[in-house]
Amino acid sequence: MADFRLRVTYRMSGRLVMLSHLEVARALERIVRRADLPYAISQGFSPHMKMAFGAALPVGVGGDEEIFDVQLDEYVAPDRALARLRAASSADLMPYDARYITKDTAAASVAYPFSTYRAVLALDGAEQDAAALAAAVAACGVPEEITVVRKKKEKTLVVSEFLAGDMARDADSLTFTLEAKKTGSLRPDVLLDAMLEGTGLRIVSVMRIRQAERL
Amino acid sequence: MTDLWPRIEGLIRQAGRSIERPARYLNHEWGCTYKPEAGYRFCMTYPDTYELGQANQAVRILCNCVNAVDGMAAERAFLPAADMCDLMRKEGVPAFSLESCAPISEFDAVGITLPHELAATNVLEFLDLAGIAVRACDRGEDDPMIFAGGPCAFNAEPYAPFFDAIMLGEGEEMLPELLELHRDMKSKGVSRADMLHEMAKMRGVYVPSLYDVLDEQEAQRRGGWTVPRFDDVPSLIEKRLWDGFAESDAYEPMVVPYTEVIHDRFNVEVLRGCTRGCRFCQAGMMYRPVRERSADNIVSAVCRGLAETGYDEVSLTSLSSTDHSQIEQILRRLNRVLEGKGISVSIPSQRLDSFGVEMAELVAGGKRGGLTFAPEAGTQRLRDVINKGVTEDDLFGAIDAAFSAGWRRCKLYFMIGLPTETDDDIKGIASLAQRAYDRAKKAVPENQRGNVRVSISCALFVPKAQTPFQWDGQIAPEEAQRRIDLLRRSVKYRAVDVHWHEPDVSLVEAMMSRGGREVADVVEAAWRSGARFDAWTEHFSLERWREACEACGVSMEGIAQATYDTDYIPPWSHLSAGLFVKFLQRERKLAQQEKTTPDCTFDHCSACGVCMGLDTAIQTQEVRHG
Repeated sequence: MADFRLRVTYRMSGRLVMLSHLEVARALERIVRRADLPYAISQGFSPHMKMAFGAALPVGVGGDEEIFDVQLDEYVAPDRALARLRAASSADLMPYDARYITKDTAAASVAYPFSTYRAVLALDGAEQDAAALAAAVAACGVPEEITVVRKKKEKTLVVSEFLAGDMARDADSLTFTLEAKKTGSLRPDVLLDAMLEGTGLRIVSVMRIRQAERL
Repeated sequence: MTDLWPRIEGLIRQAGRSIERPARYLNHEWGCTYKPEAGYRFCMTYPDTYELGQANQAVRILCNCVNAVDGMAAERAFLPAADMCDLMRKEGVPAFSLESCAPISEFDAVGITLPHELAATNVLEFLDLAGIAVRACDRGEDDPMIFAGGPCAFNAEPYAPFFDAIMLGEGEEMLPELLELHRDMKSKGVSRADMLHEMAKMRGVYVPSLYDVLDEQEAQRRGGWTVPRFDDVPSLIEKRLWDGFAESDAYEPMVVPYTEVIHDRFNVEVLRGCTRGCRFCQAGMMYRPVRERSADNIVSAVCRGLAETGYDEVSLTSLSSTDHSQIEQILRRLNRVLEGKGISVSIPSQRLDSFGVEMAELVAGGKRGGLTFAPEAGTQRLRDVINKGVTEDDLFGAIDAAFSAGWRRCKLYFMIGLPTETDDDIKGIASLAQRAYDRAKKAVPENQRGNVRVSISCALFVPKAQTPFQWDGQIAPEEAQRRIDLLRRSVKYRAVDVHWHEPDVSLVEAMMSRGGREVADVVEAAWRSGARFDAWTEHFSLERWREACEACGVSMEGIAQATYDTDYIPPWSHLSAGLFVKFLQRERKLAQQEKTTPDCTFDHCSACGVCMGLDTAIQTQEVRHG
């Protein structure tokens, strides 16, 4: 049977940034079904849709350029496929690009090792004081190491191994790029928690604004 | 209405990973209905967390019914999980609805479904979190009306003081009627007391505050526990039935959740009611008579529902779907139309006596997970007592069919402590399950026999109001534990596991099921000392309930365990599921004589009283063959 891999780019924003990766995956699968695309089904004991998802986002982090791949049995013009997907999607989980990819294209989950995040911040108790907020944003430092607990084991991550490029700061936000490694990753929310601890700053929103193959 | 979302979002963001599953609180799912312009606002509530409540059919159906009325909006609400309840209390954020994220107290009316006996403290937790007085008598003119309905309404007394009005039976017509009456009176400035008085005259509506409750002795002497305070308020409240069920569109719009919920699939209700007549079964007594929807209606509803929701599984729900007179035709047509789409069709409960080779091949398409059968009792004698009407041969036939068709796991469901049960009946459970395992192994190719699993799942019998066993007491938890231990010792096969529900929990269920209005005080005392989420093992504490009983002078064991003659008038005698008391009495007598009563959809009328009393009739699509 013919094999068409459609890569769909979508935006995850608003309230739906609170969804977990599994919840997003399930929602996307249902979108494909509602769009009535000729999706391929795996053979075997428990037949399921042939689908692949981009790198996971932590709960609370949205994304402007998120991707998933779905394999189709028949060709559907990308703009038609996109129109059908959009009609089957909620506003906060909305596809905006669809194109076919070739067999040699990297899988969605590892396609983009570099993720750029933007965190918008607020200062507790000084919501109207822009200068104080900017000063606090400028002052919050990047720790050298962060200790995380994974599978009940403590692990110390050296931030510079993951942080690619500079930590960019403006009046109310931080923008930074993290590299996902085969051996593990530093989660953006974990880095932000470590940076903001004790500063009075709190997160208003975090978005993955870009994903790239290289820096 | 006030939009609480910015505050809720702030709470979730600040709590970070300490709040579980924020998806419970988000709204914005596919298929939500928004009617911001509607002048009258109703909030349909399930008194437990989102993942339990979102799957509830009453919430789905009743929201759709109310939203269909011009100028009326229905929103959903669930009790936030314990972590979120605590955080909201601490931060002063009240309980909220999903669609508008509005405080519950800003609605005109709130409907709370009472799905099972352990949800009572959650009702109080919800009302309190909403800033609404937990007792109806403490509510003012500006408070929303608090209504209830659902299975537990058939003995409403342990909930009575908490609700302004309680609906008995099917709500498709009754709820919109009640809300329209409320809207109309509210617009005319009628006082709360007068509104309730008018509501009490509506068929199927019970307004507890308009009834005085007698003491036991007086109740037995006068033939009833309650006395209406007004001449124009009925002394007997009969359930409402929705006559249009069979003819109505089986497609029911549905909200598609983001987070995984129980029964996470598209449901089509294929029939309502079951008259197999199991004597312990409240649902079987409550949802009579049997009404089937047509095969055409069901098949088109499945196709439309799958297309609109994007689900990959559909369930043909009812109390006994394999009893549908066209079930084979329905499954055959669905398998044909859904072939190659990776979609499975499931049936929630398979009756042993109607699960043959054909059915085994038709159910579940390619996916063959576990299968559950409910023999309920271990010996033919006891199955006759409870009128289960299935034989060992039915079980073995079903096992042969299922395991030949590819299933490898089977769960057998039993009850412990049924009236007249002896140790022989308990040993019979072990014997039956082991013989079922032997049969299953024989039906499976030799190289796959190692995968065959049979498990026994048992729960303590809980006597339910409005059933022939309403007069029978529950056995004590210690005795239940002894019988469970006997069962565990009697099972010799390693491939047969035994699972059981905690008898402690069932004791509280029995008190809630059979208690009178005095139990409401116990519910409030238990909640005030911290009881909530009683259906969750990690939250349940028998100790807390015992202390509450003691503080209120109520004997939990007395209510749960007493056995009465059938001339005893129970505290719910003013509430009727449409069954003749004579029928319940006769069925209980037949149980003691180990005599069965046939299903009236296959055989002659059993004179239960529903068709006659509620002026209705059985509606099957074709002739049923038992």
